[in-house]
Amino acid sequence: MHFLAVSLRKDWARTRRDPFQFLVSLGIPLVLAVLMSLVFGREPATPRGLLLVADEDNTIASTRMLEAFHREPLSKMIGIEKVTRDAGRARIDRGDASAFLLLPKGLQMAFLLNLPVQLQLFTNPTERILPQMIQETLSITVDAAFYLRRANFVPPPNPPLIDLETAVVRENKPARSFAAVFLPSMLFMGLLFIASGAAADIWRERMLGTLRRIASSPVSMASYLVARVVFVSILYVVVALVGLVAANRMAGMPVPNLPAAALWIAFTGTIFYLLFLWISVQPATQRAASVLGNLIIFPLAMLGGCFFPFEWMPAWMVAIGKLTPNGWAISQFKAILDGTVDAGRIAATAALMAALGALAFLLTLRRLRRGFAV
Amino acid sequence: MIEVDHLRKTFGGLTAVNDISFTAHPGEIFGLLGPNGAGKTTTIGCISGLLTPTGGHVRIMGHDVVREGPAARRVLGVVPQEISLYEDLSAVENLNYWGGAQGLRNPLLRQRIREVLEITGLQDRAREPVKQFSGGMRRRLNFACGIVHQPKVLLLDEPTVGVDPQSRVRLLDLVRAQAQAGACVLYTTHYMEEAETLCHHLAIVDHGNVIAAGTLAELRALLAERDLLRLSGIFRPDAAKAALQPIDGAEILQADENLLILALPEASLRLPAIFSALAAAGAEVRGATLTQPSLESLFIKLTGKELRE
Repeated sequence: MHFLAVSLRKDWARTRRDPFQFLVSLGIPLVLAVLMSLVFGREPATPRGLLLVADEDNTIASTRMLEAFHREPLSKMIGIEKVTRDAGRARIDRGDASAFLLLPKGLQMAFLLNLPVQLQLFTNPTERILPQMIQETLSITVDAAFYLRRANFVPPPNPPLIDLETAVVRENKPARSFAAVFLPSMLFMGLLFIASGAAADIWRERMLGTLRRIASSPVSMASYLVARVVFVSILYVVVALVGLVAANRMAGMPVPNLPAAALWIAFTGTIFYLLFLWISVQPATQRAASVLGNLIIFPLAMLGGCFFPFEWMPAWMVAIGKLTPNGWAISQFKAILDGTVDAGRIAATAALMAALGALAFLLTLRRLRRGFAV
Repeated sequence: MIEVDHLRKTFGGLTAVNDISFTAHPGEIFGLLGPNGAGKTTTIGCISGLLTPTGGHVRIMGHDVVREGPAARRVLGVVPQEISLYEDLSAVENLNYWGGAQGLRNPLLRQRIREVLEITGLQDRAREPVKQFSGGMRRRLNFACGIVHQPKVLLLDEPTVGVDPQSRVRLLDLVRAQAQAGACVLYTTHYMEEAETLCHHLAIVDHGNVIAAGTLAELRALLAERDLLRLSGIFRPDAAKAALQPIDGAEILQADENLLILALPEASLRLPAIFSALAAAGAEVRGATLTQPSLESLFIKLTGKELRE
């Protein structure tokens, strides 16, 4: 315990004296986040929505119901996609569109014969403005049909026989802002860079000769390694707390459970550190270790959702990415942020990561004892 | 006390230490002398527990370094050949860490840090980062980190390499002080003068073997108080050997076409006779160096080569 305290003091002093490495690890994701925000911030302010339409009547009347959406300015704001009833319902339930309109079979005939008919509109609860615009537009169209009948001197039914029924689908997926989708990726990219940088320090220790000196002291290599891991864990706790609070206050990223999120970041970051440490001590030279580290970190970050969020990646890439340790970690982290954590799933992920970390620790220790420290 | 018994260390097919045995006692400075690559650093590595011996045994204060590693290292202080310090940290922070690693706790640790800073003359720069130190100051701090816990056994691996003369004198004084305080000091060097002025006992190593051991007086006696005469020029080795045979007491240690090395008593008085004999044998002498009996001349006598080769 005494050596742990002494070692933590030493590592903290070294980090304070040379914060560049640490700041670069945090700075790269931060710069990327700012750049991405700028890119998305320059998009036209006009919102863009999608109206799914299941036209089961497929007549002139049903086509005319949608005519307003083909004219500007609505055409610039709302795209129309023809779907089947089942596909439309499934997609609106998943939140893939602003609204889903069902034009039933017999619409035209009902209009001509003055029979009652009902249009069904399902709106996405996670969007506010576009579904409302679609609903208003369709209401006006239904009203127009009413007045058209009147203009043709046909006594209009009272109440109007074409009725627009609007339903809001049940919200089964929480809304995610840009910050909620993007910032976790940046945060985990930072964790990977910190892990890689901290792991590379073992080579600086070797080159300084301090690793050799500790090997000739009564301190065991295991104690030395544990002290390093504890320091990195503490560093991650600080980074997690500062990062999460800043992301919440400055970018609006929702953090409903700060302690759980911070703990998860510190835990997974420590595992990343152990994995990178094991990778670092494999090559024979510092330069080779650096090249190997870079060869691993960038593909790992890209595939594992730490560069682009899984939500923006093609499905095949997501499937691969979710097999990486950072992919597991970030998926569970988002579940913590969403409040949709499955206790069994997060426990299994934690156990798997802990096992990986323990294995990396033992293999690193073996390498240190078998010549790396000397 | 350090007991090294038939130590052997190989790296694959390379034998770095073949068969080294010696015993160093408390209160004395034991010198391990030899050229670069003789096996000194490997020997230190085996004694400090960094390397596992391939054969033989090493005991420190009775503890076997392989079987009782932590106990052996607890009484050991090591001053490595390379500066082994955290350059971003100050002298105090380095001493605090290395003292802590040796098990020292406050207030004793604080007191020892004050003491070693004072004896190494670094107290005025104690709070500065090591990277701002001169080479000599770094060497002194490197030494201080090795003695902060008052080790009973101190290993010094060429601690004066690349040190300015002033710092070197100071470091040697510090080493003497450790021995006077009762520590058993093992000192490796390839500087003959250091070994001669510092060490009570010496072992001369070459190619991983001890080729001579004893006190300085005992080693000098091996030379039989003979001077060493080195002649450079152009020689016909066989003719030169024959020409020098009548010179009383002269032993030819090395003879080739450009170099002739002789060991002989009172060489300065016999230079005219030597030059005449060589001239008669057709040799052309271009340079002559006369060396009084020393470890260097002993090393040349034992190995036929210079120590710094």
